[in-house]
Amino acid sequence: MAIYTVGRRRVIVALLLTLVLLLTLDLRGNPVLDRVRDGFARAMAPIESATDVITTPVSRAWNGVTQYDDLERENEALQDQLDRLIGTQATARLSVEEAAELKALLSLNSLAGIPTEVAKVVGASSNNLDQIIEIDIGRTRGVRVGMPVVNQAGLIGKITSVTDNTAKVMLITDSRYVVPVRVQAAPAADLGPTDTRPSGRTNEELEDLVATTLVTDVLASESSLPQNDGANGDPASVDDPTSGDLPVNATSTTLDPNDGESPAGALPVDGEVIETTTTTTTTTVPNLTAKEFGALEGRGRGLIPQIRFLQDNPSLAVLQEGDLVVTAGGFDSLAPPDIPIGVAVNRADRSGPGGPLLDVQPYADVTRLNFLRVVLYTPLSEVERE
Amino acid sequence: MLAAIWQGPVIRLIPVGMLLLALQRSLFVEITIAGVTIQVVLALAAAAGAAGGSERGAMAGFVLGVMYDMLEGLPIGSTAIPMTIAGTVAGFLAIIVAEPHWWLAMLFTMMGAAVGEVMVPVTRLFIGASDPFEPRLTLIVPVVAIAAGVLSPLFVPLARWCLRIRSAEWVAPPREPTL
Repeated sequence: MAIYTVGRRRVIVALLLTLVLLLTLDLRGNPVLDRVRDGFARAMAPIESATDVITTPVSRAWNGVTQYDDLERENEALQDQLDRLIGTQATARLSVEEAAELKALLSLNSLAGIPTEVAKVVGASSNNLDQIIEIDIGRTRGVRVGMPVVNQAGLIGKITSVTDNTAKVMLITDSRYVVPVRVQAAPAADLGPTDTRPSGRTNEELEDLVATTLVTDVLASESSLPQNDGANGDPASVDDPTSGDLPVNATSTTLDPNDGESPAGALPVDGEVIETTTTTTTTTVPNLTAKEFGALEGRGRGLIPQIRFLQDNPSLAVLQEGDLVVTAGGFDSLAPPDIPIGVAVNRADRSGPGGPLLDVQPYADVTRLNFLRVVLYTPLSEVERE
Repeated sequence: MLAAIWQGPVIRLIPVGMLLLALQRSLFVEITIAGVTIQVVLALAAAAGAAGGSERGAMAGFVLGVMYDMLEGLPIGSTAIPMTIAGTVAGFLAIIVAEPHWWLAMLFTMMGAAVGEVMVPVTRLFIGASDPFEPRLTLIVPVVAIAAGVLSPLFVPLARWCLRIRSAEWVAPPREPTL
């Protein structure tokens, strides 16, 4: 057995000092270290692929043993969801055109005009502190460090490192993640996200699911089943609990069978009533007033993000539960404005000038990610520099 | 020193480390205990310390940690420093016995891994992380330590092979020649 000596202590100290030096160089950005890292990642790729193939049956068996109950519960929830969707399918079929228009409106309109790249999640962080995932596209597809990453539900995180064919995404729950955000009043009907948010599905599944649900909800509230009409007839005030599924900036579309321009139930010449089903589409943009700007910070695994640097000014607006949170954008921000993030679920008041804290429940379930989109967005400050 | 590392027993450690890293990133991301990811690479660094002393443990932690950081895209050193310390601590503890029994080696590996896991957020704090001490740390550290202890009967011999550590041979003193 080795005996502790001064010589050994010198070796240990030298190793630690070398690491500190490497750490300092790497933190300042060193192209040599970056190249070494890329080379090592490339050398590891075949080993990782082979290991993945070999260990997949083992991990599946483990998951089968340990997550059987969760799977059963999830299966029941999905079955319930499926039943509801089947029940509304017939009505939805009548409105294919309106659904197509609604889908276009429901897309993240803040991302309009900004190219995106679809990516698949291929790995997760292997330590217990970081909230970082790995995706299967990289530099060759135009991905750069700092670009925001979204899924159909909203913001997921940002790119923190890139190789030729892979990239690391720091999730919004990572304790190092910060993004400037805007807090805005929710539409009157907004009740926040539901438990059935379909994060983690494929794009096609998501689009089908969201479109079907919303179209049927709109139909149920406006045309065939008017029990949920708002008192003043304002479509925006319809008491629709699923409207929380809408991305923040989505507009609501209503079908109005009794529009003045196309009267239904017109009398023909022979006196027989022929029901005409002319419908028009009216689009109403909810009044989403910006209340305050702040910085959203992740807090680590299992904790929801929090917004700091808020100033509560009751004479202008009161920050409260249910407020919607979107990216603020701006000259230096890495994310474009108006990407939905989540909804405020708790407000904590602090004494002193610190202002209140808002806990934000993200729309996206970052624990179950599959397909993502990297928004190929460059901040205005970087554009001017180029 | 670098030449000594390159020509020394560390050469065996690199392929073994690559295999363990691949396992860490595939199998052990899925197999978690109470939501805690088992740190097999850290366990090997600590086991190397328990098997070969503080110097070899530090060297194993250095090599494995640098490989880990490079593959994970972390700043090089942010995990290597905790792993080096884990190997060193396990090696320091192993001073108390010349040839530790398997259960003592398990204990040393556990303690080294625990110290290494605690050092991860400490290192993050030094490199600018705002609040690296997660509330779950009180769960993470024991789970990682116990898992390292469970793996130690496998990892201590593996570390011996990687670092070319031979068992101590107890030789009787030569008899004085009798006239």
